[in-house]
Amino acid sequence: MPLVRKPAQVAAAQPKASFAEVLTGLAAADPEERWRAARAAAELPDSAAALAAALPQETDARIREAMFTSMARIGTRDSIAGMLPTLRSDDAALRTGALDALRSSVIAKQELLPLLLNDPDVDVRILSCELARGLPSDGASRSLCALLDREVEINVCAAAIEVLAEVGNHTALPALARCAQRFPQTAFLTFSIKLATDRITAAGSRD
Amino acid sequence: MIFTEAKRYYVERRLWERMAATGSVSFTDYFAHLRTDMHDEIQQFVNAFTVNETYFYREDYQLRCLTNDLVQERVSDKQVGESIRIWSAACSTGEEPYSIAMWLLENWPRVDDYFIEIVGSDIDTRALDSARAGTFGNRALMRLSPELIGKYFAELPDERWQIVSQLRDSVSFSFVNLMEPGDTRQHGRFDVIFCRNVLIYFDDASRRLAAENLYENLLPGGFICLGHTESMSRISPLFEARRFADAIVYQRPAGARS
Repeated sequence: MPLVRKPAQVAAAQPKASFAEVLTGLAAADPEERWRAARAAAELPDSAAALAAALPQETDARIREAMFTSMARIGTRDSIAGMLPTLRSDDAALRTGALDALRSSVIAKQELLPLLLNDPDVDVRILSCELARGLPSDGASRSLCALLDREVEINVCAAAIEVLAEVGNHTALPALARCAQRFPQTAFLTFSIKLATDRITAAGSRD
Repeated sequence: MIFTEAKRYYVERRLWERMAATGSVSFTDYFAHLRTDMHDEIQQFVNAFTVNETYFYREDYQLRCLTNDLVQERVSDKQVGESIRIWSAACSTGEEPYSIAMWLLENWPRVDDYFIEIVGSDIDTRALDSARAGTFGNRALMRLSPELIGKYFAELPDERWQIVSQLRDSVSFSFVNLMEPGDTRQHGRFDVIFCRNVLIYFDDASRRLAAENLYENLLPGGFICLGHTESMSRISPLFEARRFADAIVYQRPAGARS
């Protein structure tokens, strides 16, 4: 029979990379070294700042991915906060990569989200609405309704309404109504608010 | 693993089972067992929560893809007599790696030209014991023809069947936690990985980490097969989607070395 069974392959355990090796690796010209350093950094919480510094310079999408994953795995406030500047990047892949990684972070959703929803940058506020999607319904409704009541940018309101339509509960209905009153001339917002209101109401009647 | 509200009953039932098995009088009592890992309770807990429902020749369109395209491409730069390594990365009770072995023997004309190593791994040690024993009920064999059953199985009492020893001895089984790079790296690099209907049970962050681990387990140009409802494109940018006649699979770019 051509099938062979070999003894269970046990590759020698790789020694844990040192902080110095991670620093050197992240700056290496060889992308494979940078990949290994980005992966190894997850085991070294002190490397969060180095990852955050290397992230904007990294051009290889798979290494960026490994950096985001490692920063999320480190999971400290510093490592999570280290991803925030990339939300302002002109590079869409970098922005969405950061958003995906932040979604998995409790710190991002519970501690940093209020700051992000108040960010002076409209695009950051729009992206941050997506983070609220990962909150329990009450928390998402509370955060996004507070945003709706103060927000002057229609596109930010639209992003918040879209998330509320999916995860919001009845506590969001008054804020949605107020938002509709503030922007009566904006047809797409009126439509979005009606859709969100109908969905939340229907979901409430099923509970 | 992620369990939504809809899985509350599933979780509660398994917790009650483990509490009863450990003689715990309350959840607090059981939680103490778990935290101290008394009598290997963490592994028992993991075993209780894994899903082991599968059968032979499941999603056989991917097995057709394996022989029609994937191994053909993988051997294009191999010499006759070289190894092809295939990993069933969440093999449960063994149906998948044994299916791969049977399918290759039955459907790949060049099967004798190479040394084919098939490894089955899982996080559930109880399932792995079952896989090594290679015994199955009728239900697991429902997609197999009588000819295949006659060729590869020996009948046991009580409508049970056992994979013939020659085939059992051709597949190796090992423990793996796909979330642990230290576990996955030990398995080396593969030409093809089957990781079907596993990542759907992970949350987003876990999926990303598992994808990175599996990426390192693939040889450059190697393939990974997911379940038909899963898409690596939505999980990770590491892989390239390849559309073949029978299936869409994901490939580690041939130029990527790490």
